[in-house]
Amino acid sequence: MSASHFVRKQFTWNAGWKAAALLLPGLFICGMASATPPPRRQEQHFKVDAHPVVTIHNPNGMITVKAWTKSEVMVISTRASDYVEVEAEQMGNRVDVSTHAAADNVAPDDMRADYQINVPEDAELQIHDDSGEVNVANVLGDMNVETVAAGVDLEDSAGYVTIKTVGGSFQCTRCAGKLEISSISGNLRLTDIHSFHVHAQTSTGNILFSGEFLPNGIYRLKNYSGVIEVRFSPADSFALSATSLKGKVINQASLTPKSHQQHFYSRFGNSLFGTFNAGRAKVELTSFDGTINILKRD
Amino acid sequence: MATITCKDFLDRLESWMEGDVHSDSQAHLRNCPHCRSLVDDLKGIRSEARSWGAEEAEPSARVWASLRSQLEQEGLIRPADAAKTTWFGGWFASLPRPALASAYLTLLIAGAFAVSRPMSRPSNEARWLAASQDSTMPLRAQLIAEQNSFASFNNANPVVNASLHENLAIVDNYIALCEKSVQEEPQNEVARDYLYQAYQQKADLLAQMTERGENNR
Repeated sequence: MSASHFVRKQFTWNAGWKAAALLLPGLFICGMASATPPPRRQEQHFKVDAHPVVTIHNPNGMITVKAWTKSEVMVISTRASDYVEVEAEQMGNRVDVSTHAAADNVAPDDMRADYQINVPEDAELQIHDDSGEVNVANVLGDMNVETVAAGVDLEDSAGYVTIKTVGGSFQCTRCAGKLEISSISGNLRLTDIHSFHVHAQTSTGNILFSGEFLPNGIYRLKNYSGVIEVRFSPADSFALSATSLKGKVINQASLTPKSHQQHFYSRFGNSLFGTFNAGRAKVELTSFDGTINILKRD
Repeated sequence: MATITCKDFLDRLESWMEGDVHSDSQAHLRNCPHCRSLVDDLKGIRSEARSWGAEEAEPSARVWASLRSQLEQEGLIRPADAAKTTWFGGWFASLPRPALASAYLTLLIAGAFAVSRPMSRPSNEARWLAASQDSTMPLRAQLIAEQNSFASFNNANPVVNASLHENLAIVDNYIALCEKSVQEEPQNEVARDYLYQAYQQKADLLAQMTERGENNR
């Protein structure tokens, strides 16, 4: 073997070891990375056009949705464990966000995922959250929220809003548009409302309505037991029908009785009918054995 | 033209929905808002049901069988004829069958109340009460049977589980109180409306439990 051949061979050998020495840690890091689950906190951005639809399906956790001025949807998700997966994908102008179990028999606490989502203010929302909490602020598009035990808190909405809970409470502040709410045992609290259509129904929960009765607006509040409380201002104008079959009707409004009063309900329970000012809005309050309070707003 | 009663019309309802339109049924439907409303509901439910996604959870065969049996008992459909595929049979078969016990129970409720609702002012309360009980008792039994099948229902999330069971108990209590009121004051339409609504809530809750039970399997 010549000296030059020996040197060349030695060099090649050394270079191979050096390359291997450099590559190995890299390969090790890559291997580690592929075995590590994605971080529990993820942030994703989706460019959208006007009036996007955002759907969120989450079995357990807090969902906070806020409007912003950007034409994009930002989803920040935080998983409680690696046994739960978060999926957010875009299909045209729709963004679907959902939480799935990544294994069988996942403990309930491990199934939790919390979301912080920013959407354009004209976005339409469809939210399903069995337990936890749903908070939505400044979203002006239509929205549908369904929960079992999760409470729903809505602020400054303007679209057609439908809320359905089993036991979760609902609170709405400065909401306009059209509101349809139903629950079995949740309390419903509607304050500073500027809506022309409110239909709120709960079986055993209380209902509070404090807001404007807009001309030609329809306001139907119904429960089985619990208290229905309506607060009116002297400037309001509404035709009132309030009936509690087994409970009391307490009224602070100076009502003008209807001239041709023919109402079937009046034969049973405690009823009150009449108009306040010109009677331009229609207010119907019905309870089975709850108390109905019609009180002056402070 | 001989006019037929609501009961006669209900006997012919299945044929009517299959497109077998008799002139006397047509005449009755023109004059009877209750039957017209029932037919509209059925058409609406059929149309809505076809749009439901096939990917949704399917209730057990027992639910369908018991619902069919209930509809037969209510007189809304004829007993199954093995030789003939009826409108309802075809409908059941063609549907994607999502977890929609609710829709069918609502249909039952609507049917039951449509049948029991007075077509004219009743001559006495006992008759009204009897009609009301006749129509609601099978329905009540049906709902109880459905509820019994959920005795072992157990959602993975204890909060959801507890909420569904608590609210089912609330609705049951509500039904019992409404039934008592209807018995005490059979002509009280408010109490009847509350009872109707309570049945609907129960059907809806049972459907939610079915859906969640299926999803957890």
